[in-house]
Amino acid sequence: MAKMVKLTIDGTMVESPEGANLIEAAGLAGIHIPNLCYLKGMPGIGACRLCLVEIEGAKVPMIACNTKVKEGMVVNTKTEKIQETRRFVIDLILSMHPLDCMTCTKAGVCNLQKYAYEFELKESNFTRKKFGYPTDEANPCIKRDPDYCILCGRCVRVCRHQGTNVLDFMGRGVGAKVMTANDKPLQESSCTFCGSCVDACPVNALLEADRWRKGREWEYEKTNSVCLLCGNGCDITVSTKDGRVAKINSGAEGITEKYICAYGRFGFDCIEAETRVTTPMKRIGNELKETTWDDALNIAAEKLKKAGADAGFISTAGILNEDALVLKQLADVVKTKNVDTTVSLYADADSLINESADPEAADLIILAGLNPSQWKRVLPALDALVRKKVNSGAKLIVINSGDTNISSVATLNVKGDEAKILSEIAQAAISKGTKAPKEMVHALASVDPSDDAVKAAELFIAAANPLILSAPSLYDASANLAMIKGTAVSVPIESNAKGVVLMGLSGEGKSYTEMVKGGIKVLYAIGELPLNKRPQADFLIVQNSHMTELAKQADLVLPSAAFLETSGTMVDYLGRLKCLCKAVEPAGEAMSHREIFIEVAKAAGKAVKEPKDSDIKKALKVKAKAALKPFKKKEGLDINPEEMIESINASVINGSRLLWIKETGKAVAV
Amino acid sequence: MAEQKEKKVEDIKKEAEATKKCPVNKALYYIEEFLAGPMCGKCFPCEMGCYETEVRLKNIIEGRGSEADLFAIKKIASEMLEASRCKKGKDTAKFILEWMETGAYKEHVGGRCPDRECLALIEYRIIPDKCNMCGLCQDACKYNAVQGEKKKTYRSGYLPFEIRQKRCTKCGECIKVCPTKAIVIVDIKAKEKIGVSV
Repeated sequence: MAKMVKLTIDGTMVESPEGANLIEAAGLAGIHIPNLCYLKGMPGIGACRLCLVEIEGAKVPMIACNTKVKEGMVVNTKTEKIQETRRFVIDLILSMHPLDCMTCTKAGVCNLQKYAYEFELKESNFTRKKFGYPTDEANPCIKRDPDYCILCGRCVRVCRHQGTNVLDFMGRGVGAKVMTANDKPLQESSCTFCGSCVDACPVNALLEADRWRKGREWEYEKTNSVCLLCGNGCDITVSTKDGRVAKINSGAEGITEKYICAYGRFGFDCIEAETRVTTPMKRIGNELKETTWDDALNIAAEKLKKAGADAGFISTAGILNEDALVLKQLADVVKTKNVDTTVSLYADADSLINESADPEAADLIILAGLNPSQWKRVLPALDALVRKKVNSGAKLIVINSGDTNISSVATLNVKGDEAKILSEIAQAAISKGTKAPKEMVHALASVDPSDDAVKAAELFIAAANPLILSAPSLYDASANLAMIKGTAVSVPIESNAKGVVLMGLSGEGKSYTEMVKGGIKVLYAIGELPLNKRPQADFLIVQNSHMTELAKQADLVLPSAAFLETSGTMVDYLGRLKCLCKAVEPAGEAMSHREIFIEVAKAAGKAVKEPKDSDIKKALKVKAKAALKPFKKKEGLDINPEEMIESINASVINGSRLLWIKETGKAVAV
Repeated sequence: MAEQKEKKVEDIKKEAEATKKCPVNKALYYIEEFLAGPMCGKCFPCEMGCYETEVRLKNIIEGRGSEADLFAIKKIASEMLEASRCKKGKDTAKFILEWMETGAYKEHVGGRCPDRECLALIEYRIIPDKCNMCGLCQDACKYNAVQGEKKKTYRSGYLPFEIRQKRCTKCGECIKVCPTKAIVIVDIKAKEKIGVSV
């Protein structure tokens, strides 16, 4: 906990953590200091001059965004002189900003509108200036309208901070314009369509391309949820209007984790895609025909009961904790032990039970065997997070046997066998006098560290709070290193991999791969699986929200709710429990995974209850034992994350504008 | 030509003082040079304020000025002095105010350029009494703005010399050649009837 500092703002005593700036401190006391260019979590640049405040003892007004709190400081944020200056700045900005609030999509969230209201400016007192820039509407995701731009530079800074570097100022002063390199449309630049700039823009210069006449801020119902489309599990805020999703924004506070990729922001179209399954379907002859829930549930229950121990359940790790718990109970009802998830393709269960970690506090990040990339959409939020941390001063060590994109920003890049390098780093740290468990000192006695490992060890020793992020196959070695100092966390490919493992969905019976190979009489496939061919099974039940290739070959299709259509909890890659709230009602007759499981169990003659919060909490209490494990990479867990993420999101991509991004990306690359 | 080092604001001011007489013209020259050179565009009051000041100064110089322009310039300069981020912006505001204090801005709004430099506010005229009809000005004028007939002995009824305002670009070449100083610069709005044929 940071030290607290007492100061007076507008006559109110405020206690603020040391090192905070005045805007943050005033926010704690409920006082809003106007600003247009300030970005929470990033150093203030003092461009807009709206946050000027008077500090007793200072000769001139100071900018609040870049002034740190001091003990006993007396700050006045609303003196007449300062208000007049603020009014003047808003007045000037208004003179070059269209005055069409009545049709402007951003009305209601526009900061300029808010301040114009506050300072009673109906229109500008200065000469109206119009630039007539063309808009960039060539893509279905982000619309850029430079005529609205007030040159605050937020988008430019956000884009640079997260390492994408697409937007920049061209020119200087009033005639400046935010543009891509050579002013090309976004899809021809290196833009990843993450939309961070949209979240940052205080006016209507950057917004989602499909927002025109789709409702404005005050018409939306906001729901906090979590994106389930990849291993990052980012916080999202879903805006809905009339039961339909209008837009999705990042739900995270502060700049470090404020990022969602194009999947999270624009993938929601798939909820209304043509491929949605809205009624249960069963195979009659060569065709899948619609049927009723009663019929479908009875068939499922009967087939499962008959198969008994020869029945098998395979699921994605994109299901929620509650779903996983009920699925386990359903397997018990069926009396089979064959329950497994796609997690077993890339991780063993033990490696996913970690401590939770806080990226905000980390001053050294070690990436072991991970290759996140915003451009390839492999753990893009992790890539952005690491780049942001590096840009704000944290160190980064990349350990990988192959080439990685993220290594371009690394403080130290060590290439080679990851497990060996980790053991060398540990040994180098020990030989420099760092304390380590006895058995580790013993085990590593014969290791001879390379020069790079020694350098890495120096960084490791210097860091106060190292965070070791590793691929699941390298978790053992990383955890060993974390026994010396810091936290080790394994990063799975799917959103709730950690959750489903904690809920006990890891194979006592046959594994996922074994079940897919054959030998199962009735196979129950849940969610979007990386399977295109029907596995060997007498009867195949597919429970998914979309008609996938696999579902087309199934004998029975049960429509499940898509993401955003269910409530529940999940555990993200950093081991934090996150809650999801239902944003929209399931399409058609679709039900959530657990409702279907409960109904199937009921049809099989056993009552299964919806799990309570306490059940989840109990399941989460499983802790890994800290013990020295061999410095070895686990074999057989190498899959291509890029392909995996693309295949588990196939329906999302094909049913939304992400398909456009994918196709255009290919076209531009050629 | 190689990129020159960025000009300092003081140097621009000196240049303005040296090349222009009228304070409004000095201010405009300064602002234009400032916007083209050392203005960094890192804070709103300065970048937007200077831009607006430029617009307003042009209004005044081109004879469209009003009290509102004076008020706006004064307001911008005093706020810039208060709120801009660096010394360049503050100095700029100071210079603008300094030139304003001469009272010249106000005279311009009233239609007079005391230094007879703002082209929109002045006219070139020929005083008939002083004119000896030598025709040198007619030869010097590139724009055929001077009309009249050279004096020839023993002839009467010639056309007097006069400047056609529509053609005159106020370049000043005619004044340079006039041997009798018959060509003068007057305010358009002034009541004096110099050089106007009745």
